[in-house]
Amino acid sequence: MIRIQTQAWDTMVSHAEKTFPKEGCGVMLGSDGVVLEAVPLPNTYTGPQEDFFVMDPKDLNRVDREARERGLDVLGVFHSHPNCDAYFSKRDLANSCSWFSYVVLSIKNGRFDHANSYRPDFDQKEAPKEELIYG
Amino acid sequence: MAKILIPTPLRQYAGKQDAVQLAGQTVGEVLQSLTSQYSDLRRHLYNDEGKLRSFVNVYVNDEDIRYLSKEATPLKDSDTVSIVPSIAGGSAGIAAPPVTLSKEEILRYSRHLIMPEVGMEGQLKLKSAKVALIGTGGLGAPLGMYLAAAGIGRIGLVDFDVVDFTNLQRQVIHGTKDVGRKKLDSAADTMLDINPYVEIDRHETALTSENALQILKDYDIVVDGTDNFPTRYLVNDACVLLGKPNVYGSIFRFEGQATVFAYPGGPCYRCLYPEPPPPGLVPSCAEGGVLGILPGTIGLIQATETVKLILGIGEPLVGRLLLYDALAMRFRELKLRRNPECPVCGDHPTIRELIDYEQFCGIPNQTHEPVAVEGDIDPVEVKAKIDRGDPFVLIDVREPHEYQICKIPYAKLIPLGDLPKRVNELDSADEIVAHCKSGMRSAKAMDFLKQAGFRKVRNMKGGILAWSDKVDPSVPKY
Repeated sequence: MIRIQTQAWDTMVSHAEKTFPKEGCGVMLGSDGVVLEAVPLPNTYTGPQEDFFVMDPKDLNRVDREARERGLDVLGVFHSHPNCDAYFSKRDLANSCSWFSYVVLSIKNGRFDHANSYRPDFDQKEAPKEELIYG
Repeated sequence: MAKILIPTPLRQYAGKQDAVQLAGQTVGEVLQSLTSQYSDLRRHLYNDEGKLRSFVNVYVNDEDIRYLSKEATPLKDSDTVSIVPSIAGGSAGIAAPPVTLSKEEILRYSRHLIMPEVGMEGQLKLKSAKVALIGTGGLGAPLGMYLAAAGIGRIGLVDFDVVDFTNLQRQVIHGTKDVGRKKLDSAADTMLDINPYVEIDRHETALTSENALQILKDYDIVVDGTDNFPTRYLVNDACVLLGKPNVYGSIFRFEGQATVFAYPGGPCYRCLYPEPPPPGLVPSCAEGGVLGILPGTIGLIQATETVKLILGIGEPLVGRLLLYDALAMRFRELKLRRNPECPVCGDHPTIRELIDYEQFCGIPNQTHEPVAVEGDIDPVEVKAKIDRGDPFVLIDVREPHEYQICKIPYAKLIPLGDLPKRVNELDSADEIVAHCKSGMRSAKAMDFLKQAGFRKVRNMKGGILAWSDKVDPSVPKY
């Protein structure tokens, strides 16, 4: 289960709406399974960003270091699916990392529609859905 | 000694420490030492083959070891090693099963959902599936309607034809009101009326070597509902090259065939028929006719196989050619094997891209202007000869049952097949004009008579269809 506090949730939704129709992404920080803060990161994919995102590992490294100095953990990552549902796509699975919760936000016509959270396995074969509580 | 920073989600496996000091000359040695000390970490960083997992990046200070010496990168005491995952993804690609069915969809698919072989999981597979349907004619009609009804999420239709009256005897996806409309629009309307929850892509084009891979690459399964050899070979080769199953069906008169080609390990169309038949040997449905219900039977066998492939249930029709005889009402099966020598799906394929299929099937390039064939005579001129009372013999080389549909009163019926034994009824001194339905068979009759020593033989261009258009519209077309 992952719980996202209102302020962090608002940051995620507004970032995903702002990057529409491209995919937006970022990191979720917190502790004990509760997300207290969301950090939007640039989508560094050099191809069409309407259906793909890549985070720069350097950004991730930096956010992780800064978070640990403030006593926060990286609990997961989020990204948006513009104009389609918040499923975990084959591409999501093929690029997934088993350490994190993956929150996917469906943005339709520029507005937030729904969201789901997934926990991918080690071998990038499955990503079971986990309970997501936000707001 | 080097310092390794442990990413937050992995700290629970490293004694809750955020950093560990470890001895080692290289990155590989230090990671080895880390995972032997904290064995639970190993599976998070390495796969079963002992390689770093694809999503694991290792940095020495600010440099990715991929751009240094990889795991052999040397370390100094002051270095900091960080383990950073790659994070990427996106909505593209085939969706994993969509999250849910709506309440309305659950009600609609109730009879599927209550069967454990389909169930919610299977219905979601159907909803995630993308099927390309080549042709919305005889086979395409039942296919389109039932695949839409079954809840296939996305169906791509490929057709460029327009509905005409001769289609309605079998192409039940189109109605009388649709005559003159694009088949794509007419078919899509019917399918969306049956099931508004499916998405339909309209590809208004003939499938060609230039566009086939581009069109078909986005679908999981290709269903061949075409009626000519060039397209059949094209669909087959494209499916083999793209690695997508080709659900095949064909019909002629009272008989049909169905199977699944290009399934992993199974045969392809070329394993069965390495070469096309000579042009003109196998008549099309337009020439030979077809029982209107037949494409219903064969199309639904194709639809059944398509749904089974998506659900992954039952025994697919792979390596078996199903033969159906409507008059005997019998099904038979022929075993098919993949041919290791097959030029497209064999062990050493020689065809690695799409070729010119019209040429392969011996069909002359149709972009050239038709040349006037020596010995052709226009129906209008034939009519003038009759009216003037010119002495000549008009022979109709069609079959008696066609003669019953319509005829030119002046003509004498000698079916093409009977011509050799009835040639003595004709006098080589007479001027002779032959006609049939559209001009093909009468051309053959003309050739035969010329070889038999007749000099004054001509072929009525366009047959009785052209007669109806140009001379007497009261003659029905068929």
